[in-house]
Amino acid sequence: MASDKELSDFLKSVERRAFKRAAYAVRDDDAALDIVQDAMIRLAENYADRPASELPLLFQRILSNATMDWFRRQKVRGALFRNFSEFESSSDDGDHDLLETLAGQDETSVTESAAESFSRAQIMLLIDGEVSRLPARQREAFLLRYWEELDVAETAAVMGCSEGSVKTHCSRAVHSLAASLKTKGITL
Amino acid sequence: MNSHRLGAALHTEALEARFALRATAHLTAQADALPNDISERLRIARENAVRRARATRVEVAPQVAVSRSGGTLTWPGTPSGGGSGWWVKLAALLPLVALVAGLMLIQDWHGSNQVSAAAEIDASLLADDLPPSAYSDPGFLEFLKSPQE
Repeated sequence: MASDKELSDFLKSVERRAFKRAAYAVRDDDAALDIVQDAMIRLAENYADRPASELPLLFQRILSNATMDWFRRQKVRGALFRNFSEFESSSDDGDHDLLETLAGQDETSVTESAAESFSRAQIMLLIDGEVSRLPARQREAFLLRYWEELDVAETAAVMGCSEGSVKTHCSRAVHSLAASLKTKGITL
Repeated sequence: MNSHRLGAALHTEALEARFALRATAHLTAQADALPNDISERLRIARENAVRRARATRVEVAPQVAVSRSGGTLTWPGTPSGGGSGWWVKLAALLPLVALVAGLMLIQDWHGSNQVSAAAEIDASLLADDLPPSAYSDPGFLEFLKSPQE
């Protein structure tokens, strides 16, 4: 059984990534926060008695389900008739304040030159934008596999598909990202 | 040929993984620089979840105690908690045992009633003036069936 501290530490370690994952999917920070909160509560209420080692997989699955639930609720509310221009991520890029990102960096960045820091921040934003533009399943597989560091079988379990599909989604996502970043002159 | 193809696939996979890990490192850096209000809301959500987990654990613990002690509010781990499960199971069997015993008694009583009724008939037949063999005589049976004056 995971203790309060273990649960808290685990949630602390995943909450930011979980928020970004949800935000990529729903394109709305408030909705993403609601989804993450919902997932945390579901985990706490239903799986508090599970050992800490089981929490990562459970949480990722709950988060995926919570995101799907959000889409279902939106569908019920007639979200299908929403103006699709809201889904363009270019507005997100425009809203982002680069100075905020730079101000949020830690003290070690003092040694970095202003040009390097600016360039890094730009790359971060570009990658963020390109990831958000990936097809939903490819993005889900890519983030679970490489960001959450789940193995292929675990990713397949969370996504409810075969391991082969996970590999295909991941490969396509990587190639698509690499191609789109290359056109912008970025190589990783 | 196959080993060459397998090697190429592994090489591609390794390249993909390297690219993906570099990309996700940038994503991590960006996630770490989330605005303060979002970080705060995440912290509050996390604390709520931990509080809820604690409450859930406290709720579950006495329920287990109740089911194990057969309806008595005993905290788990008390000395009487260990063997009480068997007594609960035995107590649950008591009504069934009583039902079977009752049915057996009723059958016994019914059987003895039938025996005593048959004995009474036999006794009255033997004690009567008329011999029992008279009832096997067809003429006598006709006499019995005919209307008596």
